[in-house]
Amino acid sequence: MNAANPLLPAACRIIGITDETPDVKTFRLQTQGGAKPFAPMPGQLAMISVPGAGEAMFSITAQGEDWIESSIKRVGALTEALHELSEGDAVGVRGPYGNHFPVDALKGKDLLFVGGGIGLAPIRSLIRYALEHREDYGKLDVLYGSRTTADLVFKEDLFGNWPQRMGTHITIDVPEDGWDGHVGFVPAYIEEKGFSPKGRACILCGPPIMIRLSLASLYKMGFEKENIITTLEMRMKCGIGKCGRCNIGSKYVCLDGPVFSMAELDELPPEH
Amino acid sequence: MMYLLKENFDKAREALAGAYAVVVPDEVLPPKDALFPRSETLYETDRRTGEARAAGAGGKTLLFGVRPCDARAIGNLDAAFLESGYVDANYAQRRENATIVALACAQIPSPACFCDSMGGSPHEAPEADVVLTEAADGSGYALDFQSEKGSAVAEIWKAADLIGPMPAHLEKAPAPTCTLKVNKVPDLAQKLTAAFEDGLWERLAEACLGCGCCTYVCPTCYCFDIGLENRGGTADTFRCWDSCMFPGYTQMAGGHNPRWSKTQRLRNRYLHKLAYFDERYGRTLCVGCGRCICRCPQGLDITRAVEWGERL
Ligand code: SF4
Ligand code: SF4
Ligand code: FES
Repeated sequence: MNAANPLLPAACRIIGITDETPDVKTFRLQTQGGAKPFAPMPGQLAMISVPGAGEAMFSITAQGEDWIESSIKRVGALTEALHELSEGDAVGVRGPYGNHFPVDALKGKDLLFVGGGIGLAPIRSLIRYALEHREDYGKLDVLYGSRTTADLVFKEDLFGNWPQRMGTHITIDVPEDGWDGHVGFVPAYIEEKGFSPKGRACILCGPPIMIRLSLASLYKMGFEKENIITTLEMRMKCGIGKCGRCNIGSKYVCLDGPVFSMAELDELPPEH
Repeated sequence: MMYLLKENFDKAREALAGAYAVVVPDEVLPPKDALFPRSETLYETDRRTGEARAAGAGGKTLLFGVRPCDARAIGNLDAAFLESGYVDANYAQRRENATIVALACAQIPSPACFCDSMGGSPHEAPEADVVLTEAADGSGYALDFQSEKGSAVAEIWKAADLIGPMPAHLEKAPAPTCTLKVNKVPDLAQKLTAAFEDGLWERLAEACLGCGCCTYVCPTCYCFDIGLENRGGTADTFRCWDSCMFPGYTQMAGGHNPRWSKTQRLRNRYLHKLAYFDERYGRTLCVGCGRCICRCPQGLDITRAVEWGERL
């Protein structure tokens, strides 16, 4: 973060692009000087700008020694412009913004990561953190679903890195030639797996309808609201609690969020 | 107490023009424009390298004749931009460079004024550097210099021989009382927040056109948008006033809008003014200037929400 002016982006460049799905790309970014723009905590946000096109807020899905990564779905003009960039192109980055997953409060617990579609992107930052601090957490499971196999993001993690290190449960909505994995929706799959709520927290992120139905399943299985954590998306402009638009009641998602437990969300007006 | 004769009022203003860019707020718009301009460049970006260079935010200004409610509103902007959380660089620079000369209200300027119901007073402006208060006999103004910036103004006026000690037989006129009386209950914020689902919000918002006029004239509305203007090899990133009364304000790129209805938008505006800001900054955002009431083409009136507190 630029200490003198938190709205000022750092000049960065794209050092890698991964095509995740037909409309999702992961961009690896570092400063023009070859450094990491900042060291985010899992769940935090970055404002990424395309010079001459504008800026938008994205979750940071991963970080390395000298880079951060965001996975971006093409949904509007700005993300369209981002998708047209190539390796070496300049971008601006400012942040990190927002709170983060409660990595300390989660210590000692089993963690169940539930994601749908691009919703796996914010969760991935916590999965990577938990795998790096493996001794701090109990059993780890990820349950992830998308419409078709073509829509699965982070395939290298899903089929390569994660299955060796944690329970990895993947499902697609409808049967497909060549797919011998699970078929069905995420909420039903959670119930089918029968994860015990005892000593376990669930980190849930995905499209609104998936969230709603997954919550119903989790509650039915006995998960407490305190132990279900999600991240919210809102329109954002400043990231520093000034421009006003990301509020839910007196909370600003860019400052007090994007990570909330369901218990915390219950305290806020239903405007998200 | 120093004193300025009424006949020297214009000269006093003119005497400041050498040291400051003097801004005299008009009747319609609040003075916030001088500190938080309706549009300002934040930085310039080299489109090839992404290098961003912050734009400057102006030199020394002096706001002359600020109403006490508007001075109080500046205190609220200070809370939002400077005092809690991140410091907004452009606002900080303009604020640092600004001197505020307030003019206490000798008469209540509008039938919609209700600052004294909102905890303010037509005669008090603690946020100002200088306060001019009319003497009881109307011959001139008692001068309160309330800060170092205020003392600098006093020096200029003394040097120009425009002010002197207030004659012993004179005193400040008593503060007038606002014509509009509203009973703001002490726990208004909690009560309104608890009434979030009440049907009255819909009735309050029924006639709203979503024109955003109320937010444009409000001295404490500080929402902004950030946009971009290309200039060949560089691009200017600017910010400009925005309005929570516009549907596009919260519209997301994917189509979802958390405040899609005008009832949700009006409720959010009123609750921000009367509850949310209190929770975050410990002071009520609405200062009771009455502008939004006078300027709403549909006659919407925020004091209805304040008064509702009595019945909750
Ligand atoms: S909400 Fe209306 S009355 Fe209150 S400060 Fe703003 S313009 Fe003035
Ligand atoms: S000025 Fe009146 S009509 Fe226009 S947006 Fe505000 S409340 Fe609605
Ligand atoms: S993005 Fe501006 S207040 Fe949150």
